[in-house]
Amino acid sequence: MLRLGIDVGGTNTDAVLIDGDRVLGAVKASTTADVTGGIVTAIGDLRQATGFDPAAVHAVMIGTTHFINALVEGERLAQTAAIRFGLPATRALPPLVDWPDRLVTAIGGHSHLCHGGHEYDGSPIADFDEAEFRAVLDRAVTAGATSFALSSVFSPVNAEFENRAAEIIAEQLPGAPVSLSHEIGRMGLLGRENATVVNAALRGLADQVATGLLRTVAEAGINAPVFLSQNDGTLMDVDYARRYPVATFASGPTNSMRGAAFLSRLPSCAVVDIGGTTSDVGILQQGFPREASTDVNVAGVQTNFRMPDVLSIGIGGGSHVVHQASGTAVGPASVGYRLAQEALVFGGTRLTATDIAVAGGRAEVGDASLVAHLDKSVVDAALRVVDDRLAEVVDRMRASAEPVPVVAVGGGSILVPEDLAGASRVVRPDHFAVANAIGAAIAQVGGEVDRVYSVVPQQRDTVLDEARQEAVDRAVAAGARPGSVEIVDIEEVPLAYLPGNATRIRVKAVGELSLGGSRA
Amino acid sequence: MTRTSAEAPAPVSPAPLTAARVPALAAGATLLGSGGGGEVATGALLLSRELAGAPVPLVPAAAQAPDTLVVHAGLVGAPDVLAERLADPDDFAHAVRTAAEVAGVRAGAVGVIEIGGLNAVVAAVAAARLGLPLVDGDLMGRAFPRIDQTVTAVAGVDPAPLVLVGPGGNTVVVRECARRLAERLLRANVLALGGAAALAVHPLPAARLAAIGVRGSVSACLGLGDRLLAAREAGGTPEDLADALEAELLAAGRVEEIVPRQDLTPGWATVTDGRTGAVVRVDLLDEYLAVTVDGVTQAAVPQIIAAVDPRGHRPLRADQLRTGGHLILLRLPPLHTWPSEADPLVGPPAFGLDLTPPPPTGPVPGGGTFSWRGGS
Repeated sequence: MLRLGIDVGGTNTDAVLIDGDRVLGAVKASTTADVTGGIVTAIGDLRQATGFDPAAVHAVMIGTTHFINALVEGERLAQTAAIRFGLPATRALPPLVDWPDRLVTAIGGHSHLCHGGHEYDGSPIADFDEAEFRAVLDRAVTAGATSFALSSVFSPVNAEFENRAAEIIAEQLPGAPVSLSHEIGRMGLLGRENATVVNAALRGLADQVATGLLRTVAEAGINAPVFLSQNDGTLMDVDYARRYPVATFASGPTNSMRGAAFLSRLPSCAVVDIGGTTSDVGILQQGFPREASTDVNVAGVQTNFRMPDVLSIGIGGGSHVVHQASGTAVGPASVGYRLAQEALVFGGTRLTATDIAVAGGRAEVGDASLVAHLDKSVVDAALRVVDDRLAEVVDRMRASAEPVPVVAVGGGSILVPEDLAGASRVVRPDHFAVANAIGAAIAQVGGEVDRVYSVVPQQRDTVLDEARQEAVDRAVAAGARPGSVEIVDIEEVPLAYLPGNATRIRVKAVGELSLGGSRA
Repeated sequence: MTRTSAEAPAPVSPAPLTAARVPALAAGATLLGSGGGGEVATGALLLSRELAGAPVPLVPAAAQAPDTLVVHAGLVGAPDVLAERLADPDDFAHAVRTAAEVAGVRAGAVGVIEIGGLNAVVAAVAAARLGLPLVDGDLMGRAFPRIDQTVTAVAGVDPAPLVLVGPGGNTVVVRECARRLAERLLRANVLALGGAAALAVHPLPAARLAAIGVRGSVSACLGLGDRLLAAREAGGTPEDLADALEAELLAAGRVEEIVPRQDLTPGWATVTDGRTGAVVRVDLLDEYLAVTVDGVTQAAVPQIIAAVDPRGHRPLRADQLRTGGHLILLRLPPLHTWPSEADPLVGPPAFGLDLTPPPPTGPVPGGGTFSWRGGS
């Protein structure tokens, strides 16, 4: 089965062609502002390099940082109305309360409260007030809102208010994008609501990007389904991505780690991904990134997504190296993407970590004679700084006292020493520079349930089975081949300080992509 | 025993509580929650907004006129309900006013019920909304799950009048109630109010509170929070963190297994200490109850046990433990000493644990009763 994996990063667009577990080819092109230009170039380069037949491609998987970048930059965001059902509760902390002013302005600052929502046991806090909601909707539309984020207290228990409001919007404003919090986030109103508002603000952009991607792929002569990578390393159909762009946010680090696991054939390891400016270290457990236990702040907005647990330090291939009497410093300042002009080995004038790696014999990059004059004590001191800091961050991340295998990927991975403290060994797989695109290409399809159930002790197994089945069904609905779906994670947490049996159950299922039809 | 007034220095009011101090208060309160006490973040967000108007004066009970009425305010109920339904400062203000009304005196200050977890922050929200000072003290010296696990209960003081306020101003007033009934009355009514409610309880004259309350808790919490935030910046070893917090390092390792609680029967987590190879058992309900290292109990309630994520130095609540996760287990210095007769109320038996109690917390620098110095 031929898969085309594409990673659209801030600087480079990488493309890889994979057949089963063989990498047939890999290329790098420059990312363009419209996303699609870089993809066109990358696919063209890949055809030149491998001579593949576009018609033979079974699936195209794309990882992109485009949506998270749009939020960080506060640009290309839709005018979004955040409407919450919760009154008379939740008044003191209205929607957007903890957002940075800049972003509130960027999405138009439409924050509204309506009566309703539910208690933990599913009984309503207040009745649905249709007249009130219609009035709020009118005000929002008059003020210019074009995308709608609906949240409701305890909607993971009962989504009635969000669904009813969505029906009214569909009837009043046919085709208007509506994002519902119970479909997007987990328990915890503010985090779930924030994720929903972010999603709503990205809907217009998602529509454009999805259309552009489909067109680009079709124009390249590829007649295969197109998928986008999600935060957890699974795939979503490109049409699903039009409705849930927020689910792509953490796909970058996830793809890089999963790609590293695939290339090194190590399902459990530490992954060190070194770029031009930073090193990101994450942990893979059974092929999936370990998730952060605390909530994640994205562009100043607190969300309750599950994100990979990644620790970053300011050391990369382009890091400035400064040697003074007081000691040697590497980073955090970096020449970044200007490495190929500014580093000594490329004829530049700035001493960088890459120069040190070349002078220390760790890599053959550029012209080694240009760093031959460097004082050995300076080179050794700088390499020691790099080694100590990498070892420290690997040590802080690893899950057990035993040394772990370390997989080094990314363009700056030449900095990683052969012998790293805390590492049982250092693995440098082939194609390490395109691990992200490979991670996208190998992704599976997932389904998740995260909800509060009332669990009567004798019926615990029944409830768990129900949740398992729903997760499997969701994976299949998202495009997994029914026979291949496995439950990869189950979590059962009783709600604290509540009598009775309210239990939050989270089940995650993952399966192989079903490609149906004659080419499967 | 709580310290007698003869030992205490002359009361000096600490600096007022400003919005800039909220992160330190929240960080300290999370540690003092001993793994429970709820999610502090929502309360911290409310408090930051309240304090943007005017700071809240922080006063020792002993510095108040003796007959000043101090009403204790907090939030009771489930953290998950708070995380969804949030909380309203007006509800806390309404609860305090109503309790004072029943007591027949105007409230002169707001007191903290428990300095561990969300309630450390919520009392300040109530004080800010009412424009009243906050008493630098509390009734538990940490977080506890029940309203009767207080120094006031040990001193034989009944909690009523007791007021609960739910969303929309739904109000329950309990004019009189026996100590042993308070918890049951709370639970039944909180449930009817949807699983969480604003609470006002223990209206006490400042002089009485000065005699029986835990002193300096808010300052201690701020100081502890400052040290945690500084340690987080520094990012040191478990030993460094323990030193910074003046805490006892019990273990540092990986969670191997979590056995969930069954209703009121404690569950436990098994941790392997990565440095020593020791097998560590952490008993837990909604809070951490005891830490036993290679069969020897090293810490138990009412001692304050904190679990901290070694990566970001973030305190982990009992419900945030995950198999495979790493943690540093610490025993924090106590804010006060419980008398031995309080053991059935706040010791291991109160939580259904039968274990050989750990040695009392070792001598602290300077000798005598441990004394916190607040501020940074």
